[in-house]
Amino acid sequence: MTSSARTRIRRQLLCLPLFFIAIGVMQAHIDANAASVNVVGEDLLLRSGLLIQKLSLGYNSLLADIYWTRAVQYYGSRVGAPGAKFDLLWPLLDVTTTLDPSLIPAYRFGAIFLSEPGNVGAGRTDLAIQLVKRGIGANPDEWRLGTELGFLYYWRMKDYPNAAAAYLATSKNPKAPPWVKLMAARIEDKGGSIENSRIIWRELYESTKDPVIKNDAARQLQILTAQDDEMHLDELVDEYRQRFGHWPMSLEQIRAAGLLPGIPVDPVGVPYVLGPDGKSRLNPASPLANNPGSNPAH
Amino acid sequence: MSAITGVVAINTFREAVRDRVLYNLVFFALLLIGAAILVGQISIGIDRLVIVNLGLSAISVFGLVMAVFIGVGLVCKEIEKRTLYSLLSKPIRRWEFVIGKYAGLLLTLLLNTVFMSFGLAVALFYVGRPFVRSDVSILVAIYLILLEFALVTALALFFSCFSSPMLSILFTLSIYITGTFAADIREFGDFSRNPALKAITRALYYVIPNFHNFNAIASAGHGQSIPFSLVWQDTLYAVLYVVLVLFASSITFSVRDLK
Repeated sequence: MTSSARTRIRRQLLCLPLFFIAIGVMQAHIDANAASVNVVGEDLLLRSGLLIQKLSLGYNSLLADIYWTRAVQYYGSRVGAPGAKFDLLWPLLDVTTTLDPSLIPAYRFGAIFLSEPGNVGAGRTDLAIQLVKRGIGANPDEWRLGTELGFLYYWRMKDYPNAAAAYLATSKNPKAPPWVKLMAARIEDKGGSIENSRIIWRELYESTKDPVIKNDAARQLQILTAQDDEMHLDELVDEYRQRFGHWPMSLEQIRAAGLLPGIPVDPVGVPYVLGPDGKSRLNPASPLANNPGSNPAH
Repeated sequence: MSAITGVVAINTFREAVRDRVLYNLVFFALLLIGAAILVGQISIGIDRLVIVNLGLSAISVFGLVMAVFIGVGLVCKEIEKRTLYSLLSKPIRRWEFVIGKYAGLLLTLLLNTVFMSFGLAVALFYVGRPFVRSDVSILVAIYLILLEFALVTALALFFSCFSSPMLSILFTLSIYITGTFAADIREFGDFSRNPALKAITRALYYVIPNFHNFNAIASAGHGQSIPFSLVWQDTLYAVLYVVLVLFASSITFSVRDLK
């Protein structure tokens, strides 16, 4: 090859990055235009897990991983957004668990995604229960799925007989820890209580590795601590009324009367307040005051 | 196996290596490295599972592609290049040539699979999981994948003995896909009230190679044990089928007019 030919080729090669830049710019323009044209809502083309299983030519477990990742991404891209809808969450989880009935994370985390109310989940506890029951049917040895079912009945549905039954059935699994049987007995005996709720959330907090769910469990535990504090403060309010013959207007009055050493603060450090009904409550400025879930015991 | 068969096998293996067939290992390594780094960040609770599923699926797909696309060219290429005529002018029987070609490609696939399995082990180690006893099921799944390669290679070679490469690819892939649906074909007949259809689908179920037998990827992913009885039954099934197809290949190639 002559030196002039080599120089020509070198110049041509230098042009290549320019072409890629031009292509990138064009793609950005196309994306911008397509976004304005694309008004059709997203959808799941194939919703039948069985059909996808047949089409997978035996690679169904890998496809299940892909669908599960898609479900996580779908949930993650919407969670917390105002007016978030999770219409495709159930079909995605349905396909995932049909492709791989042993994919335990899809049942456990999927049930949480489905059951969370407000803009942090689909608010479909009925589907979450259906999903977990399917998981228990396919994986009878997985005791954790039984506790998930108990949790859904207890926390979301406030259906204590079914919650106790779920925990009792799970306790018969030889791998289940002793606290599961204890929970069955406690719920059977007392229904919803702060202590029961604390055991359930503590277990969830300690068993999960996912930071989002761990944070949520930690927050719920803080709310339960606050509810404990409020019960104690309400007792002091009653004592104040008995002593002075009228309701206190603020916690400062209780402190001035010597019933409190100081103004108590909630687990995140914001002082409690007294409501117009004379009951103690979380300060509206506290991050714990805006709780989408509700404690059945309170 | 005669010494001549061994020589043909070694040369087939060398030819595959010369054709840079083993470059697919680079893609495999990149795939697993990418998955190992990415999956933990975009999914929940399946770090190890996805490495096993992806690794075994990639071993299977890469190997199948090699088995089909190289397998169909084993005989045709020798005819096209006219190297077959100089080979057959030597004291080598046609069946020895066929078996040697088959063994050579199988050796290539075996080596490829061993390297990929090593890559899979490294990726699993990277995602921070110590090896446990139940990981034996991953090795068993890889062994079953190798049996699948043995059968697909034999089929590709068989079609290569009398057909063009394009048609051989079509035939082999058709049989592979039909074989993965073997159980569905039988179920289809079972749903029918027509006894003739039921008999045909049942016969088809037993005649076509059932590739579903060799799929243990899901079990390996979840660490479920694969019964030893199933492993030896699958082995015997594959051996019987491979012997049958190679026998047919040898006969077909022996009677083929190469003029």
